[in-house]
Amino acid sequence: MASEFTFPSLDWLQAVREVFNTTDMYRGAGSGRCDCVVGLKIEGAVFIVEFEGFGCTGVRQANEAELENVDFYLDMPYELWKSMLENISANNHAIGEFTLNTLDLGMEQGIAHSKHEDQYRQDLFVRYNQTMQFFFDASHRISTTFEEIVAS
Amino acid sequence: MTSSKTNGNLPDLDLGWMDQHGPWDTHAEPGKYGFTLADIQIGEYGQVPEESNNQTGRPRGSKPRANSMRLGGYTVRTKSDIWLENASFLYEEALQRQWSSATDVPWESIKPLPDDVEQAQCQMATFLTEVEFVAGDVPARWISSTTPDYFEARQVLLAQVMDESRHMDVFRKRALANGGGLMRATGATAGFVGGIDLSRDFTEMSSRLHISGEGAVLTIFRMGELMAYNDAEKTIYRLCAQDEARHVAFGVMHLRYMSQNEPDRREEIHSYLDEAEGSMLTDAANPAGRLTQTSESLCILLGGGSDKFDEGFRKLVAIRRRQLQEYRKRVISAGFGDRFDNGRSRLNELMAQAAA
Ligand SMILES: [Fe+2]
Ligand SMILES: [Fe+2]
Repeated sequence: MASEFTFPSLDWLQAVREVFNTTDMYRGAGSGRCDCVVGLKIEGAVFIVEFEGFGCTGVRQANEAELENVDFYLDMPYELWKSMLENISANNHAIGEFTLNTLDLGMEQGIAHSKHEDQYRQDLFVRYNQTMQFFFDASHRISTTFEEIVAS
Repeated sequence: MTSSKTNGNLPDLDLGWMDQHGPWDTHAEPGKYGFTLADIQIGEYGQVPEESNNQTGRPRGSKPRANSMRLGGYTVRTKSDIWLENASFLYEEALQRQWSSATDVPWESIKPLPDDVEQAQCQMATFLTEVEFVAGDVPARWISSTTPDYFEARQVLLAQVMDESRHMDVFRKRALANGGGLMRATGATAGFVGGIDLSRDFTEMSSRLHISGEGAVLTIFRMGELMAYNDAEKTIYRLCAQDEARHVAFGVMHLRYMSQNEPDRREEIHSYLDEAEGSMLTDAANPAGRLTQTSESLCILLGGGSDKFDEGFRKLVAIRRRQLQEYRKRVISAGFGDRFDNGRSRLNELMAQAAA
């Protein structure tokens, strides 16, 4: 793909969504019906990613308060987001310590959180884990540049 | 067909069966997810009776037939005994998220491992093969005891049996794939896991199997990615965890339905949870518990070898704590969180013991 997309940005998420929705291998084993609303918290920015049926139906920019309504949200230090995406880009999918589930377990408080504390909804991170993984794995097909974020 | 006579060119048929049917002029239509069970829950066909007298295997909504014999001896004939609000959703999800241990696991990525790591991996695989038998057998028994009027819940359990069958085979395959083999049986199916099968009531079984047992195994499957040494093991554990989360979801949603619709049974259900908490860390059913055969092998896998046992043990303690925290939040989600406020639950005590 010729264009470059900056992470994090709505354009980047839309490009990933496009690849995810149109690539056969992401309909493969472990994927399938997935209905959930996922938040992404990346430094100061908040995004909402919606999955319905067999695809990602929408991505949008949001604010912190909207994280109350998502089933779960992913939150990790910017450097880790960056390392994860670089790992995906180098291997065409996440390997080793950079799969979402491994990242979640590798940190004391995990990367998947919820404001509502309803474990039934938070378990969707596991129930649809392969779908979430496929979504981020799809980023290997786009050219990503990273916004320089100075740690505060 | 009994008639072979003809009347002109038309066969002389007994068409009496044509007037014998359930509600007619039904036009169920596919929705945006395809033609799902939810799409055919319309009119009388979608009405689930609170009590079922159906002892004949009659499909819900069909016309009863005279002089039919009893089938099945269904004991689960009260809706709240087995019902959950999202059964049809979970069933479709289960069908659509199936995978094959034969072709969807990158088996070629498994390479020779140090002996202690391979032995530990084989020990875990042996343990998991053992418990997956129980996870399949027990719901299967209850399926055959449930009236066809509650078929949506039965369908989810049927899909679970298929999932457990795959889990059983995939861990057996892992044990035999890399120069090792099956280890000594752990006896995990005795004690609490064996007790699941002694349940007298479906909800008793579900609280033991889906909430306590599979909740603990779900954490282990998730942790499987931390103790995976190749893409194949990572894939196995991730896909098993997805299935397991569905089984746990059944239990949470069933308990929630029960707590909302049968307040008189709350005390009884609390007693099942008391029992589960009592054996959470001590029973062989939990590989992260204190049975050395499984907890030592987990520590070796998590640490990266027997010489890094302490590092593995540190991670094991983190697993135990997560198991307990997630169990707590699932019980709250199911509507039984009062036990954590009124001092009934032993969870704080267990948290303190997790590092022992
Ligand atoms: Fe299983
Ligand atoms: Fe299971």
